[in-house]
Amino acid sequence: MGRVSEAASRPLALTLAVAVVMTLLSSCADATGPGVDDGSASGEGERSRAGGATTVVDATSFAFSMPAPNLVGERLDLHLDGDLAFEQTFVTPPADLNPGLGPVFNQASCIRCHTRDGRDLAGLLIRVSRPGTGPHGGPVPVEGFGLQIQDKAVIGVDVEARVVVEERDTTLTLGDGTTMTLTRPTFTLAAPFTALPADLYLSPRMPRPVFGLGLLEAVPERTLLDLADPDDRDGDGISGRVNRVWDEVSQRLAVGRFGWKANQPTLLQQTAAAYVGDMGVTTTVFASEASLGALGDDGRDDDPELDDEELEAATFYVQTLAVPAPRDLDSPQVRRGEELFVEAGCASCHVPRLETGSLEGVPEVSNQTIYPYTDLLLHDMGPALADGRSDFEANGQEWRTPPLWGLGLTRTVNGPFRLLHDGRARGILEAVLWHGGEAEAAREAVRSMTTSEREALLSFLQSL
Amino acid sequence: MTKIESLRHTCSRLPFLLLLAIGVLGIGACSSDDGVGPDPEEEAFDLRPILQNEADNVILATYADLDLASEGLLDAVVALRDATTEANLEAARSAWRATRVPWESSESFLFGPVDTQGLDPALDSWPVNEVDLAAVLEGDQELTQGFVAGLEGTLKGFHTIEFLLWGVDGSKAPGDFTDREFEYLIAATQALEADATALNTAWDPGGDNFAAELSSAGDGSTIWQSEKAGVQELVNGMIVIADEVANGKINDPLAQQSVFPVESRFSGNSLTDFRNNIESIRNIYTGDYGGSEGMGVDELIRDLDGDLGQRFVDQVDAAISAIQAVPEPFRDAIFDHTAEAEAAQEAVREILQILEEEIAPAVSEL
Repeated sequence: MGRVSEAASRPLALTLAVAVVMTLLSSCADATGPGVDDGSASGEGERSRAGGATTVVDATSFAFSMPAPNLVGERLDLHLDGDLAFEQTFVTPPADLNPGLGPVFNQASCIRCHTRDGRDLAGLLIRVSRPGTGPHGGPVPVEGFGLQIQDKAVIGVDVEARVVVEERDTTLTLGDGTTMTLTRPTFTLAAPFTALPADLYLSPRMPRPVFGLGLLEAVPERTLLDLADPDDRDGDGISGRVNRVWDEVSQRLAVGRFGWKANQPTLLQQTAAAYVGDMGVTTTVFASEASLGALGDDGRDDDPELDDEELEAATFYVQTLAVPAPRDLDSPQVRRGEELFVEAGCASCHVPRLETGSLEGVPEVSNQTIYPYTDLLLHDMGPALADGRSDFEANGQEWRTPPLWGLGLTRTVNGPFRLLHDGRARGILEAVLWHGGEAEAAREAVRSMTTSEREALLSFLQSL
Repeated sequence: MTKIESLRHTCSRLPFLLLLAIGVLGIGACSSDDGVGPDPEEEAFDLRPILQNEADNVILATYADLDLASEGLLDAVVALRDATTEANLEAARSAWRATRVPWESSESFLFGPVDTQGLDPALDSWPVNEVDLAAVLEGDQELTQGFVAGLEGTLKGFHTIEFLLWGVDGSKAPGDFTDREFEYLIAATQALEADATALNTAWDPGGDNFAAELSSAGDGSTIWQSEKAGVQELVNGMIVIADEVANGKINDPLAQQSVFPVESRFSGNSLTDFRNNIESIRNIYTGDYGGSEGMGVDELIRDLDGDLGQRFVDQVDAAISAIQAVPEPFRDAIFDHTAEAEAAQEAVREILQILEEEIAPAVSEL
């Protein structure tokens, strides 16, 4: 099968030389002379290598798109094959190149949602389900629609529905008197191809950056279980629960790690789910079109539409994208902000430092010390962020702690900020102020900060 | 490699092949005498004029040319519909090629609004969704600009227009056009023209002024926190397109011995596309564009290493010559002239190698 990408937008395939040099710059920070400003400027070697040996020093729009610098030879080639798979734009079958799109879909390529391996509002989609518990404890599919609304379709097929968003502004006053305007979107479905049930649960989901994911996959299950405190035995007001979800490959329940509700156990399954759910491209993991029996049925005997080789290459690609190094670690303001981050309680969930174990077949991400700022656990985030839709063991108020690494490069890579699961936050402070539930005390601590404290905290977050 | 070997006195310039050989990453690679950096007494090269010139006189100027050329394309396809003659068909095809020039010349700087506003996929997606295009043409949907603009990238932009103007095998005659095809062609060209205008406006100081973001890198820019990061963006941009041409656009059809991955194969414009991609590297490197001469990455590199600066320009010339030595159409050359195609690929790979192994590290050292 051909693998030509969207012609003009093949992202960075920097080969080893540059990446290695960049890593060395980072790792040799102590040794560089006074005239050298490599952008990380840190004496804290470990801390500046946020992704361990997969770290790159880059603060350009390609910061999320670099291959891990410890990829060599055929491993780098496999990553670059995955890069092509990640960029290829699917078209309606039959076709000579990149067939398999639809019949219903959300976007036609991985990079249309994960632009520059980051996030793009164009990739926001709606998950749906009905009350109760479906197969293996997961959400109950909606007849005719499945678990996701595909709001695009190939020519001649109806879209499942149109997504309508309404925004309402609220204002909030901070401790120093600053007034913030927060915007809350409400999503509804219009013009469904067939009637939607009245008892419909609906949850908007933004794409998330895809670098560093192999490292998170390599964090031992034991670590997650140790971090979890489901009954809040330590009485700090923060629980932290592990989601247990269905693994389609091993055919058993497994710890969930990926997605806004930690509803995917592995990157292979996450990737295959995105192919079938978001693009309508079947694989051996999900061999039937989503919404099969309704609009998803293309009546073609061509499944799987993507072969294992490409699925595995795409998976390897997201497993081995480099983590960009933090910047300005020596700035007093950033250091002060880091202390405030911990004092306010943010680090209780956004756990700074983790160690990876061994990820089979991916030694590049194994046994690394990393700074992702996540515990990969579910937390009650309060009613203002709630979607009311459960997903395996995650209830309607729980969300997985998203990693914060790379946060400060968001604007550089993807333009205007669109943070949180529905993209409502147009900046880092807005995202903080939407925190509730278990994070309410931390949010209030931030809200009551002095102006200079808040600026220091934001400088720290911007340095990540 | 000689150059890199000579720079082994600093940790960060360790030759990567040596590193591979010893398989060491991280602190272990730093020996005790690695603390030699640039002389702090030496006056730093002022990067600001480079950023300003690249933003205003190369990037914005290229987008202005794209905007203008796309208006010409729209006029030409309307004229073709109004009088479907051989001459008007040739004029429309020429206008498409002319519009292609500034676009391909912009591919060394595919960052900013072209990316964050989804304009790249709207303008230049490949392949064309031929099944859906046929379905639309057979249908009775009114083919307005708005309708086509709302379709996937594979149903609009350069290659869909190309497909309509040339046909799948490049042999379309004036008598082959249907009314529906004209409606679609005009709507798609209107959408392309609007996207080209949006891109130009996004950079224009009279519009959203993204040019100022690059000019002010490290001094108020919300995108680049340092001047150096701004220059690194330019270098990364050149690396991306050199890689794309060598390892994507030339490699895929050649390695697979298949015409299907050949971009711009309907028009037989592929090699011209490649050449303009390499010209876009030259434009960013030199800071010169369309008769305007200004500060580019070149001035910085020559200040650091005059030999490197000249070698790079020589290699760009060599790559252009090597591409010109491959006979169009590329869809045939991949079978009939593989030696020339491979030589072109190798010449572009050498551009990539200099960028990755010498220019990017030199900028990283600043």
